[in-house]
Amino acid sequence: MPNNCIAKKVQPGVSIRILLALSVILSYYHCCYGRWLQISDVKVSQQPTELAGPKTIIEYDLNDPNISAASPAYVFVRYSTDFGENWQLLPMDSLGGNGFDIVDRSGHKMIVWWGTGETSFSDLVQVELRVRAVQMVRVPGGEFIRKALPGAGRDESRDMETEPRSELPLFYIAKYETTISMYTDYLNEVGGEGAGWHPRMSRAERCGIIQHSNHTYSVKEGRGNYPVTYVSWYDARSFSRWCGLRLPTEAEWEKAFRGGIYLDGDATKKHPNPNPDRRYPWGDEAPDVNGVYRCNYDGEQDGFAYTAPVGSFAEYNSPYDVCDMAGNVGEWTLDWYSTSYHVGLDGFRVVRGGSWMAVPAGCDAITAATQFPLKESSIMGFRVVRQLAHGPKTIR
Amino acid sequence: MWIEENDMKTLNRRQFVSSSFGAAATLALGGPRRTHAASNSSGRSQPEHDKVIIGVMGLGGRGTFLAESFAKRGDAEVAYLCDPNTRRFGRARGAVQEVQDRRPKMVQDFREILDDKDVDVLINATPDHWHALGTIMACQAGKDVFVEKPMAHNIWEGRKMVEAARKYKRVVQVGMQSRSAPYVAKAKEYIQSGKLGEIYIARVFNMMKHPMQRQVPDQPVPEGFDYDMWCGPAPKLPYNPSRRWLNQWEYSCGPIAGDAIHQLDLARYLFDDIPHPKTVCQVGAVNALRDGRQTPDTQLAIFEYDRLSLMFESSLWTPYMKKTPGSVRDSDRFPNWPFSSTKVEVLGTEGFMYFGRHGGGWQAYDAQGELVHSEYGRQGDKEHQDNFLDCIRTRKKPNADVQIGHHSVLLCHMANIAYRVGNRRLELDAETESFTDSEQANQYWKREYREPWVIPEKV
Repeated sequence: MPNNCIAKKVQPGVSIRILLALSVILSYYHCCYGRWLQISDVKVSQQPTELAGPKTIIEYDLNDPNISAASPAYVFVRYSTDFGENWQLLPMDSLGGNGFDIVDRSGHKMIVWWGTGETSFSDLVQVELRVRAVQMVRVPGGEFIRKALPGAGRDESRDMETEPRSELPLFYIAKYETTISMYTDYLNEVGGEGAGWHPRMSRAERCGIIQHSNHTYSVKEGRGNYPVTYVSWYDARSFSRWCGLRLPTEAEWEKAFRGGIYLDGDATKKHPNPNPDRRYPWGDEAPDVNGVYRCNYDGEQDGFAYTAPVGSFAEYNSPYDVCDMAGNVGEWTLDWYSTSYHVGLDGFRVVRGGSWMAVPAGCDAITAATQFPLKESSIMGFRVVRQLAHGPKTIR
Repeated sequence: MWIEENDMKTLNRRQFVSSSFGAAATLALGGPRRTHAASNSSGRSQPEHDKVIIGVMGLGGRGTFLAESFAKRGDAEVAYLCDPNTRRFGRARGAVQEVQDRRPKMVQDFREILDDKDVDVLINATPDHWHALGTIMACQAGKDVFVEKPMAHNIWEGRKMVEAARKYKRVVQVGMQSRSAPYVAKAKEYIQSGKLGEIYIARVFNMMKHPMQRQVPDQPVPEGFDYDMWCGPAPKLPYNPSRRWLNQWEYSCGPIAGDAIHQLDLARYLFDDIPHPKTVCQVGAVNALRDGRQTPDTQLAIFEYDRLSLMFESSLWTPYMKKTPGSVRDSDRFPNWPFSSTKVEVLGTEGFMYFGRHGGGWQAYDAQGELVHSEYGRQGDKEHQDNFLDCIRTRKKPNADVQIGHHSVLLCHMANIAYRVGNRRLELDAETESFTDSEQANQYWKREYREPWVIPEKV
């Protein structure tokens, strides 16, 4: 039985049928995978509404002390109505309460799922729900110095008369690279026919996901908090969509790396970024200056021959406290790279940040590798992004 | 002179583990040592390995692909990965180390590859301006070479590459891989059999949709990039990443030639490696992509042979003309011929052929326009590598031998030069490969080389 995952399961022997009854507590157990955030005490009930059919109430406790407005949780729920055979993402636009999407404080949370009557189940006996949360970092809207030309991995001159700037609205980016544990959790739901898994993932030193004969997956001991590797761009995108998220654009990635002109954003402009065009997340000094190793790059002198557990260099995070943007694994972005030879064809995608195989210069803000989207490699992984496409949600 | 002539090295016989080359490919393990050959040569001592040891120069997309391709064969091993830009190291090394145990040495200076006696082959996948000198130096160092197309940046240095290859008895294969694809040989056989009648016109297409370059000011060279080495024999222009090397005459044969060389070479092959054209007529311009580039985005040329007119139509602004996806080329399907941007059309007195490069296959039509023969294709990369490694053993000339590469890229040079002297007609002297009617054109026959990266007159 996997530990640390959030799920709701019908307890054997509990046969209460919920029609228009009040809340019923069904059985649950508490768990979370790797870098999923700590969620516990999940309870599900149904309540009648006057005109709209029953609504489903999902309650849980989010107890992670690291949750804050600057580093909130992104909470999403996946549910199954056929005893765990097939799963769907709970649509965010059908939800109310304070416990879904961006959640910026710990405590007891509630999700109200309206329109439950439109789903295919008439009671909760057949339903399974899994509540998961990813730790994000808030990147306020505003200008930042965008120095790499799209897909080109090149810098723009500090001597330019006007510094190149771009602007992005508010978005949230994962604090950590997607871990082996998180991805294994995903595989156990969707990887029934081997989709999303690569045989090389079983290599312990470079990944560490074991496929069993019944197409279930487990994490090799001690590997759960390492970044997942051997994922193609399509794999990364699939996982992102599975969460209700997406891959970052190059622009988003770069802003998370360097920080905006104002770290609190252009709406307030109270905290200027001391080094808005920094070369590395921590500043301009190289990763190995003075014998201090600030990220995981080529060689073992930094303490890691291959990938490092996410957050191993937390002292050298980006201005927004995003971990491992330099080195460790190269990170897939959403952006295409239209080369002269591939315009209109399948094209490359852009990978940013360098990896455990890169030289120090190859882990900086401007380095961009281009890869075919099907490429799976021990030096590539990804992190997810949530952009606020709509206005702030209201609590119902 | 900093380029030292090494003793010629002969690889008469090699041991290979696998029989992937086809007939007569495998020797017994523990087979004969290398022997000394002619009196003016000296052999190396027997290597401890039984794989072809490779150094790769140039880690862009193609170089990384070639490094990975050769590494995963099992009968070759990549010992060096070289690029002046250290930022390219991670991707290339990552690709190679997924498929071979040996960790390649990462270097910025390709001379480390040439100095290593254990290296057998240099793969040269640099931009065009480094193809010639890199190949010549490798030949001098006793390496066989796989050099990417277009083989040479100008006519003179192509001749020097041939000279060096012959002098040092090196195997030099040019990266025109469709030459080794079986379906291509069948097309040639079909044409040569006369089934299309007499051929008087062939049309070569290379039509694409390229992006505009976004112009930004020049900037400092990023740390970790030996830009001086990257420029090498070419002028050291101020560093400006918004100007792609492909669109600059200093570093390139042009974006059109860089891709069209495949079809031009295949057209020559279909006609049994037809010798030099007598004349070229050229019309070209920068019409759509007015972003400061020098190279044309529209290029129309006609090469006049004795009884054949080879027409070349190319553009960089035609979105409806598509490259054939790999999924089509490597399957039993044909391109959408009217909108195939990389096809060759062969017009005979009794029939017509559509021919697709890189696995596109070919189809022949009779005098009534009825389809009479179809042949599916597959890409020829593996066969081309097989051929190269086999020739290393047998010392035969490979399918895309340096001489062939030179004759094919000559067409690109002729068209480009005719464009650069004002879209005019030029006459070529087949012996000297220079122009008989324009001294202005002959100024482009050879370039000025930047010290110390100078190709010597005597290689």
